[in-house]
This record gives sequence, C-alpha cells and structure tokens, in this order.
Amino acid sequence: MKEIYLPIKAEVVEVLDMTPDTKLFKVKPERPVHYQPGQFFMLSLWGKGEVPISITSACGFHEYVELCIRRVGYITSAIHEVKPPCDIGLRGPFGNTFLAENAKNKDIIFVAGGLGIAPLRPLITRVMNEKKRSRRIALLYGSRNPGEILFKDDIEAWQEKGLQLFLGVRKGLQFILSAGKKDNCLLSGSGPAAESSRIPKISFKNAYAFVCGPPVMISPTMITLSTMGMDENNIYTSLEAHMKCGVGKCGHCYVDGVHLCTDGPIFSYAEIRKRRLQIV
Amino acid sequence: MNKIATICPYCGCGCGLYLHVENNTIVGVSPVRNHLVNKGSLCVKSWNCFEFVHHPDRLKYPLIKEKNGAFRRASWDEALRLVAARLLEIRKSSGPDSISIVSSAKSTNEENYVMMKFARAVIGTNNIDHCARLCHSSTVGGLADSFGSGAMTNSINEIVHAKLLFVIGSNTTEQHPMIGMHMLDAVDRGAVLIVADPRKTQIAGLAQFHLRHRPGTDVALLNGIMNVIIDDRLVDIPFVKRRTEKFDSFRALITKYPPEAVERITGVSAQDIKKVARLYATEKKAMLFYSMGITQHTTGVDNVCACANLTMLTGHIGLPMTGLNPLRGQNNVQGACDMGALPNVYSGYQEIRDPKSRKKFEMAWKVKLPRDPGLTLMEMFNGVLKGDTKALYIMGENPAVSNPDVTHTVNALKKLDFLVVQDIFLSDTAEYAHVVLPAATFAEKDGTFTNTERRVQKISAAIEPVGESKPDWEIICALSREMGYDLNYRATHEIMEEIALLTPIYRGILHHRLEGDSGLQWPCPSATHPGTPFLHRKKFAKGFGTFMPVDYVPPAEMPDSEFPFILTTGRTCFHYHTRTMSRRTSTLERECPECLIEINPSDADSLQIKHMNVVRVSSRRGVLTGRVYITENTPGGVVFMPFHFGEAPVNMLTNPALDPSAKIPEYKVCAVRIELIK
Amino acid sequence: MKKNLIMDKNYLSYWLRQIRKTMSLIAPMRLKNADIVFKQVDNIHEIELDCPASLPSPKEFLLPQKEYMFRFSKNSVDVLKDCTKRLIFGVRSCDISAIDLMDRFFGEKFVDEYYMSRRENTVFISIVCNNPDPTCFCIGLGTGPFLKSNFDIQLTDLGDRYLVETGSKQGADLIRGYSHLFSRPKKSDYDDQYEVILSSQSKFEKRISLENTRQKILNEKINDLFWDWIARRCFECGGCVYACPVCTCFNVVDRMEQEGDGYRFRIWDACMFKGFTRMAGNVWPAEKKGSRIKQRYFHKLLYYPDHFGRFGCVGCGRCTITCPGHVDMATIAHRIDVGDRRRR
Ligand SMILES: Cc1cc2nc3c(=O)[nH]c(=O)nc-3n(C[C@H](O)[C@H](O)[C@H](O)COP(=O)(O)OP(=O)(O)OC[C@H]3O[C@@H](n4cnc5c(N)ncnc54)[C@H](O)[C@@H]3O)c2cc1C
Ligand code: SF4
Ligand code: SF4
Ligand code: FES
Repeated sequence: MKEIYLPIKAEVVEVLDMTPDTKLFKVKPERPVHYQPGQFFMLSLWGKGEVPISITSACGFHEYVELCIRRVGYITSAIHEVKPPCDIGLRGPFGNTFLAENAKNKDIIFVAGGLGIAPLRPLITRVMNEKKRSRRIALLYGSRNPGEILFKDDIEAWQEKGLQLFLGVRKGLQFILSAGKKDNCLLSGSGPAAESSRIPKISFKNAYAFVCGPPVMISPTMITLSTMGMDENNIYTSLEAHMKCGVGKCGHCYVDGVHLCTDGPIFSYAEIRKRRLQIV
Repeated sequence: MNKIATICPYCGCGCGLYLHVENNTIVGVSPVRNHLVNKGSLCVKSWNCFEFVHHPDRLKYPLIKEKNGAFRRASWDEALRLVAARLLEIRKSSGPDSISIVSSAKSTNEENYVMMKFARAVIGTNNIDHCARLCHSSTVGGLADSFGSGAMTNSINEIVHAKLLFVIGSNTTEQHPMIGMHMLDAVDRGAVLIVADPRKTQIAGLAQFHLRHRPGTDVALLNGIMNVIIDDRLVDIPFVKRRTEKFDSFRALITKYPPEAVERITGVSAQDIKKVARLYATEKKAMLFYSMGITQHTTGVDNVCACANLTMLTGHIGLPMTGLNPLRGQNNVQGACDMGALPNVYSGYQEIRDPKSRKKFEMAWKVKLPRDPGLTLMEMFNGVLKGDTKALYIMGENPAVSNPDVTHTVNALKKLDFLVVQDIFLSDTAEYAHVVLPAATFAEKDGTFTNTERRVQKISAAIEPVGESKPDWEIICALSREMGYDLNYRATHEIMEEIALLTPIYRGILHHRLEGDSGLQWPCPSATHPGTPFLHRKKFAKGFGTFMPVDYVPPAEMPDSEFPFILTTGRTCFHYHTRTMSRRTSTLERECPECLIEINPSDADSLQIKHMNVVRVSSRRGVLTGRVYITENTPGGVVFMPFHFGEAPVNMLTNPALDPSAKIPEYKVCAVRIELIK
Repeated sequence: MKKNLIMDKNYLSYWLRQIRKTMSLIAPMRLKNADIVFKQVDNIHEIELDCPASLPSPKEFLLPQKEYMFRFSKNSVDVLKDCTKRLIFGVRSCDISAIDLMDRFFGEKFVDEYYMSRRENTVFISIVCNNPDPTCFCIGLGTGPFLKSNFDIQLTDLGDRYLVETGSKQGADLIRGYSHLFSRPKKSDYDDQYEVILSSQSKFEKRISLENTRQKILNEKINDLFWDWIARRCFECGGCVYACPVCTCFNVVDRMEQEGDGYRFRIWDACMFKGFTRMAGNVWPAEKKGSRIKQRYFHKLLYYPDHFGRFGCVGCGRCTITCPGHVDMATIAHRIDVGDRRRR
C-alpha cells in the first residue's frame, strides 16, 4: 500500500533571501517528482509539523523543486531556520492544477498579490515559453512595497517575451481592488512600472484569468473580472485553508462540501459561486 | 485495550472518566455514563486530559542544580539525601519555622495528608498552605464564621430539581462545565436562572436575569437584594428565629441599602434588584452559587458572608435544592483543605490551637507538635524577603505565575537558601529550585480526590509512572525516612485508614467503599454511613448560623485618570491555571495559544484600537503586552484577561492587597491603563 | 459467503474462547460502576450483550483517539502501524453501518494505510438490537436495528439460541472449523427472527426523518440565526464529534523528545473548535460557534448524501448522550422539523 503520510526525503540545496520575511528554497527530492502548475507539497519538518507549500518552479518532471515560503508562524519560522545542506520531508504533489489546457490560444490575464505570484510562476513561465505564441498575456502584480516584488528576474525575462506587466506597489492590493470603479479601468495604482489608468490589452470576452493572493483581494478581483465581461468559468483562483494531511482525510480543509486539498485548491469563479465557497 | 475508571485531573467538578490503555500508553479517554456528576459528558479539557501524561517534557528523574545554575540528572538516593541534609541543617540553624511547605490542590487527599504530617511531625512547623489561599480561603473563613463549615452545602445532582438558580461571580459553563450542564438541564425543566456577573458569559446569555454589576460591588448588590426582602416582609421568620443569631444588628445595617442607592453603586437597576430579590425569596427550591468572582477580593470574606446572610434570611439552607454553593476550582482543593494543608488546622478542620485535637495527633504521630498557627501562602513569600523563611518545599504548584504581583514572588524565590520543587513538569517555579523531584500524574497513582460537593472519589493508576517519577506520597515518605522519621505506608489505602481514624468527617471513608461507585460525600461519620448530600440539616455545624453584618467597601484600587480601566482576571475553558498541563495538550493549546485582552467595542473605539492590535497594559505594578480581542461580553470600562499565560503574566499587574482575615489577594479588580503599540 | 446458521446459546462462550486463541477479543463488559464499555475480555462470562450503546463507539479500535504514526530520529523514520488481530464482539448494527461509511471514506482516492491496516485485521460480530435505547433513531435511517448486508457476522437473539448470519469472508472464516457448534436454521427460526425484529422496531421512542430535515435545509428554510441560536448552548467540548462513530477528523502533532528524536501522532480533532480551521495571522474562518455547528450538520445532512448517498449519521444517539448542552442530531433535526425557534 502506498504510504500517504510518509514524507520522502529532500535535500535543501540552496536558500535565497527574497525579502526580509520570504525565502526561496531549492530542494532536491530523493527521487524526481512530476507535478503540474498550481499543485502543492506538504513540507514536513520532523518534530515541528507539516505545512502546505505551493510549488513555484517550472512544472514538469524535475530533479529540483523551488518553494517560496513566507515566515508567518510556528512551522514556517522553523523552516526559515534551515541552513543547507539539510534534509526536510516532502509529501505530494497534491491538489488539482490550473487547467491551462482549456485556455489554449486564449488570452490570459494573471493577477497576483504578494506571495500569490509563487504558485502562478510555473504557469506564467510555461505560457511565456510557448513557441510561436499569438495570444496576449498580461500580469497584474501588487505588492506592499517595491522591495517586496518577488521574482524580478523572471518578470524581466517574461517582459522580454511580450508580457504586459502592471505593477502596483505601496497600497499594492488596493490598485486591483479599486478596479472597475473609474471608467471601467482595471488599474489605477502608481508605481515604477505602472502608469495610472491602463487596461491590459486583451480580449476579456474569451480570456482566461488566474488569480492568486490574499483572500481580501480575491473576491473583489474576481467580481471585477467578471464585470469586465469574462466568463465566470474562465476565472480561476487558488483557495487557502488550514491543512494537515493534504490527502482529504484529516478534515481540516473541508468547507462547504469540498476538501480544498484534493478537490482544490484551484477553483473557478463559477464553481465558487455555485458551491458558495467561503473565501477567507 | 483496557479501560480504567478514574477522576478528571482538572476542575472541582470531579467528573468520572475512563483512561484507555494499550501497552502502558494512554490512547484515549471516555466519559463514565453512570457518574452522578458528568452523566456521560465531559468538557474539552477532560476529553483531552491524557495527552500531557506522555509529553516528552515530563520530568523523568530528579534534578540537582549545579553551581553554574544548570540542572543535572541525579539519582533518587542522592537527591533525597541532599534535600534531607539541607532541610535538617536549616532547621538546626534557623529553627523549624524557617521552613515552609506549599502543598497542592492537584495531589490526592492521601498525599496532602502525608505532606501535612511531614510538615508538622517531621519538620515541626505549621507553615503549610496551598493555593486555596488564592481562590477560596475567603470561603473557608467566611463560612466558618457564618455556618461553621466552609464547603458547598448541597450537591450537584440536586441542581436539576431546583426551581431557581442564582449564580454570582461564576462563569459556570466554562469553569465548571459539568455543573453548568446541570444548570441548563434545570432551566430546561423550568427553573429560573439569575446570573450576576459584570461580563456576559455564556451562562449569563442563557439567564432570564443578567445583573451586570460593576466589579467589586458584590456586597452592595447582595445587601440591596436583602434590603428588598426585608422591606417586602419576605424573610423566613421562623427560620431566622430558630436557627440564627445576631439578626437585629444585621437588619439595622441593611436599611442603609435601599435598591435606589445600590443602583448608584452597582449600576444594576433598582427594578431588577427588586425583581430578583422577590423571586429568590419566594421560591423554596432556590440554590445560590458563587465562585472566584466573590472570593478574590479584598472584601472576599465580606462577600461570602453577604451570600451566607442571604441564604439564612430566606431560609434557603439545610434543605435539598437550596444552600450556598461555592464552586471550588482545583480538582482536589476541597480535599487539600480537608486534609489540613492549612496553617491553622489539622485534617477535618480540627484546630491546632485546640489542645484536645493537638493531643490526639501527638499521640497518633508520636511526636510533639508545634502550637501556633503557621504562615499563609503570601506570608511565606513575604517572610522570605524579610529573611525569616529560609527554605521552601513546593509540591505541585506554580506560584511564579499564579501568585499576585509575581515580581515580588520571583524575588522571593531567588532569595531562598533552599528550594525544593516537586512537580510533573519543569514549571516556571521549578526553574528557581535547588532540587527538582519528578512526581507522577493522576494517571499513574492511586488515591482519592474530593470534589467541590465534598464527594470523595477514588482514582486508580492506569499506567506505570513515566521514567523514574514517583507518586508524591512515596517521595515524601522516602524523604521523611531519610530525615529520621519513619513515615511508612505500603499503599494509599493505609494512609486513608489513618485519615479516617483521626478525622471525624472522614471516619467512614475507606477505599473499599469508594470502589466502583460515585464516591461518598463527607461528613461520613461511620463505616456504614451513606454520606451527607446536604449540610446544616436541622442545625448549623456550629450550632446557630450567624448573621455577619457587612458593609460595602470599594475595592482597594479603583480606576482614576492615570489608570482608567478596571482589570479583572479569569480563565478560559481551554486552559487550566498556569497551563502546565493544558499547554502540553495539542488541541487546547491550538485553541487558545496566546493571551487575548478582552475589551468592550466602545472602549476600543475611544482608544482607536482595532481587533487583534497589540497593546500595552500597565498598572502600578507592572506592564505587559498582548493582542486585543474586542467583544461585547466585557462591559465598558473593564478589561478582562485570562491568567494562564507565563508569557503574559497578568499577575504582574494585579493588586496584592489582601483580605484582612482570609489573606486572599484581590485578583478581580485593579486599575490599569491601555495603550496601543504602533 | 452468505450463510445462515443456528447456534445454541450455551456454545457461545466455547466458540469465543477458541477464537480468542488467535486474536484479541473485545466485547462490551459491565464494570463495577454499572457502566458498559468495550474492552479486552478477561472473563468471557462477564460479556454483557443486553446493554445500552457504548460510549465511545467502536470506532476507537479503527481510529484510536491518539495513534502514533511515526517514530523518527536523526536519520531514520519508523512507520508505526497496528496489525493486531481483533475480534470485536457485540457491536450494534448502527456502528457497523458507520464503519461501512468509514471504510468508504478512508478507502477512497488516497487510501489511509493506518486505518486500513487496523480494518483488515478486525472482524466484527454484530448483534440485532432487541431493546433499543430511548436515544436511538437508527430505524429512520435504515442503519439498524438489524442489517441486511455489510456485516461480518450478525447474531439474532432468539431466546435460547442465536441465528448466526455470515456476510463476509472474514465472518465465514470465524465459523470454519466449528461446524459442530452450528445447525441449519428451520423455518420457525426465521419466523422467530422476524418476531424479534418486529418487536424491536416497535420499541423505538424516537422517530426522526433526516430526509425532512435535509429538504428543509435545501429549501433554505433555515437561516444562520437558527444556528447561532442553537450554538448558545454549546460548551465547545468536542464530545459530539469524539463520540460520533461517523466523524473522522484528526489533527497531526509532532513531539520532539531529544535532539532529533521524537514521534508524530494523530489525535481526534473536531470541527466544533474555532482553531480547527485557524490560519496564520489569526484568521479564523469559522469564528462563530453557530457557523461551526452549521458546518458539522451540513456535512452530515447535505454533503454526505451528495458524496456517499447516505447520511453522515447512523442514528446511534451518542451525541444525545454526551452533549452537555443538548445540541445533538436528534434535537436539531427535531427543531428544524417543527420549526421551533423560540428561546427554549
Ligand atoms: C494550497 C496552499 C498553498 C500554500 N502555499 C504557500 C507558499 O507557497 N508559500 C507560503 O509561504 N505559504 C503557503 N501557504 C500558506 C502556508 O501553508 C501557511 O503560511 C503555513 O501553514 C503557516 O504555518 P505556521 O506553522 O508557520 O503558522 P501557525 O500560525 O503557527 O500555524 C499552525 C498550524 O496551522 C496551520 N495553518 C496556519 N495557517 C495556515 C494557512 N494559511 N494555510 C494552511 N494551514 C495553515 C498549519 O497546519 C500549522 O500547522 C499555502 C497554503 C495552502 C493551503
Ligand atoms: S450524529 Fe449523533 S446520532 Fe448521528 S451517528 Fe453521530 S453520534 Fe450517532
Ligand atoms: S457535544 Fe455539545 S457542547 Fe460539546 S461541542 Fe458538541 S454540540 Fe458543543
Ligand atoms: S488537508 Fe486534510 S483533509 Fe484536506
């Protein structure tokens, strides 16, 4: 029988400070793992516990995985103490994925708030690397201050490949929240790379959206996107919950009839509305 | 899998439960269905009461502090020899009264008895006390004056049959959940529930009448109620005439408290006071309950006496479904008092000043016993700072967190020549000890606990003691042998036999009678006596009940412009006291991991504080920080904080002002200031 | 596999004594305080079959309150799995139905190996309830007082003999080799069983239709105020979840003993706790007690039927027994049914 609770060993090979409270961990699992964008691992520190962490490195079949972790509590603080070389445990990958297949050749808008860029990164990289891409891709990325913009190198690389970038800082989240109010515009923030009141040049009717970020941002963003004319079935987000097992058994993530860990964490806006999932 | 019936180690309800044991490990808990108290229910602490037993932090062997301040592992032999030698040395150089003993309301009756014997017969001092000083010494003192016996007069299983329940200063559903359950059942059967509490607790939310008096004005409120009863001629005159004394001076005093005047003091409308007074006085089956909200004041004894007066005035005592019912905190605080872990009495409240009882104990123990009452808990710590107390032996208590004004206590602990701490975990207090002795938990020993309704119940060992730990009584016996007094028992039932022999109220209580039953309620004067469900039946324990006229005196410290808020302290249902057990229980710790400071939304608004902001709370004695929890349940002008947290020791703020006679500190009222930390 | 036999009551203890040689025997035992609990049998004569429902349910043998999962040290991890062979004798039909639900839950998608390892090593002998408790309402749910299938062995007490029905391979294994204890049932035996079941069915005091309740909830007859009103009496003890044979939630906890050494265990948890869904930064998705009670009852009354085609309640009545505030399935179903929103 497959041991669903037994983590495999993974070696931390590199730790990068990204911001004062966020670090990027490059780990090498005992055996290579295959994963899809949007999936997560249960990261296990023996003696401390387990936490769900999204995979942020390019998806596929890889020897190394990257995890971007913010220090917020007991276990994440312990993880931040880890110095390579050192072993941690990994279980997974778990969860469903961003269904990018349906979005084939459609315009895509990514909306990320803060750490929300991490789970989106594999998907953005994948679409940006498509050969002979004709569709338009936009990224709206809000963060608290310029120092907290993550993955700057990647963003530059994506821009070179034609990504429309909209950065919002300081009240980074609000620039997305205030969307839709003034002249039907999506952006009204200010920042180094963002001029105020611009709209991504994509066709909202057929486009897909992938939204990731703190709960306060998710529902207003999804509402705005749907008022902009997007199909509710095409707006996806990743929900968060307290998780202990990641495999649909412990019950912690069970809300409104779904286990977020196995039935999610990715849901479309239509599904969220239908099931009345609570976004916290 | 085996299931062993025992008693919950947390509160004074004394619920029956089974420990599920597999391979000498406890893997679960379930409630006893046929238990008179809990009837198949348990509270959250109890459902999880086994986890701390196997916690890796358990003390597994004796520890001795080295010169450099670090503890090292020691053998039992070495540790006991050291303790014995040091205690003998200090006794020789500074006299037996330079040694004080803190006994434990968490240990069994047998252990408290042995500890009491150790203090008096082996050390030769009456300096023995325990934490009842901090919760119910005013009950013991006040009720001794009024009735002659300081215990809950009636029984828990009478509650459902009562027609009126008056609860004052008790957050029953959280602090004594299973008693709260009986109260709700009574309400379901049509009983009227009256709650007097400044905070809107769960039980207050279910009451027909919730009197939100200002903290510390209990005497005024009760006097106001009695004023109405006298005015409306609802006094039970035959009862007052036949069974009580000193009514007239009492009546004269009460005239000073018309409800309108009381309204001004307490903030409770005169209308409500009248209604409640009439309801309480006219209902025959009316039970009065109180807890720490009454006792932990500088006027603690007055508060208790006021409650006693109320029950006598209406004749609500000495009958089933009536009475005055103090809800005791710790699982065995009643037992620890019964066993004489107090500076002025032997077991069964036999005065040490009384030559007859002293003679009896001297004969039984074959030593000369000290004559003068010893030091109370707070006096011990003051004594250390004064230099009178040199050594302290603390069994299963954590004064470094639970005492009022902990800075003072910690200074005392540091100053001691010799400190022995006997505990199941390395508590905050144990950090200061010279020797730490590992004790066994409730799950690893036999004995008896006495719950709040005087019910003596048997606990049974479910597993072998963890590591090298030993039951408290074995440790004390071994130590006293080391010190040259042969304290020798083969098992706890032998101790119980000695207790029964020497203690009239426990005369009929023997282990074999407690086996497989819900225990016996003392007084139980003979081996065939069925126990006493309610006290003062035909006659008060001291003969006549005494009306003690008590005047309203404001709390020792009232808010002013500098410290504008009243701080009141209490517990939450997820933790127990200083958390030594409950923070090592995953579910309880997760539910309530930090100290939340409860304030009213209007106060939060005026201070511009938002939910979960971090604030600084300061009083004249100390400062601490914590997160704010905004809730309507706390009235305006009042701040509520649980005292569980060593990281946010509320007792750094509380006022160590003591009740003049019971020496209980004023935990429930002190003045504080709140500032937002940006 | 399905096979019906008759056994004289006098043979029961012999049969059990033989089986006990190969596995651990657990049965309801009467204790000194008159309680009946499931525990290891020392003396077979002390088994009490005519007894009220046990507290807690036999789920504790498949999903113990606390179960060690791993013991770890610096460079190794041991998987601690329980493979003890157990016979649990005298279980009630409702509990067998609950175990059936648990089997499906733990066996779907990711298979829970700890549960399965215990499950595969455990056989149950259930007994038709002749005397349902006043708290029982399995009859409205089809989960009792007798079962038509899904049991290992089911006994029906016919006075001086038992009708022994085997329903699984594990059950059949227990019978094999003891044919001298059993005889073929006659028609009269079936008639007697029918009588017993009829008489038992007539004794139920509670008749509850959870389907009505479900419909009311689906038709939005119940708003959040109702749940808040119900919640006023909840003590947050978690007992309803701990005692319920269907509830399966657990928490996973690590404990470090010394440098690098320690163990990871799981322990029953309950959705009735605020911290159950707590997220970093003091976010409590279910801060109100009412919303948690709603979640629990929605799970049992709506989501279980959607997913498993059965209610997440088997009508055992344990929540009624254990809840100090009378916030239990039967009460809530009744309140929803009669639309009682008054204060009390
Ligand atoms: C699908 C998913 C993907 C995630 N991806 C990332 C990521 O890529 N990077 C990142 O930094 N964080 C991520 N998180 C959030 C991260 O799991 C939490 O920050 C982390 O669990 C907090 O644990 P703690 O012990 O440090 O906090 P504490 O506050 O000490 O938490 C104690 C316990 O509560 C639980 N818990 C608390 N908060 C959360 C939470 N927000 N989500 C789930 N469980 C929680 C944990 O089980 C933990 O054991 C993700 C969460 C989910 C559900
Ligand atoms: S909800 Fe109550 S009655 Fe239903 S199965 Fe669970 S414990 Fe039994
Ligand atoms: S058993 Fe009752 S009191 Fe306890 S959590 Fe459940 S509903 Fe609340
Ligand atoms: S995390 Fe355990 S059920 Fe989803």
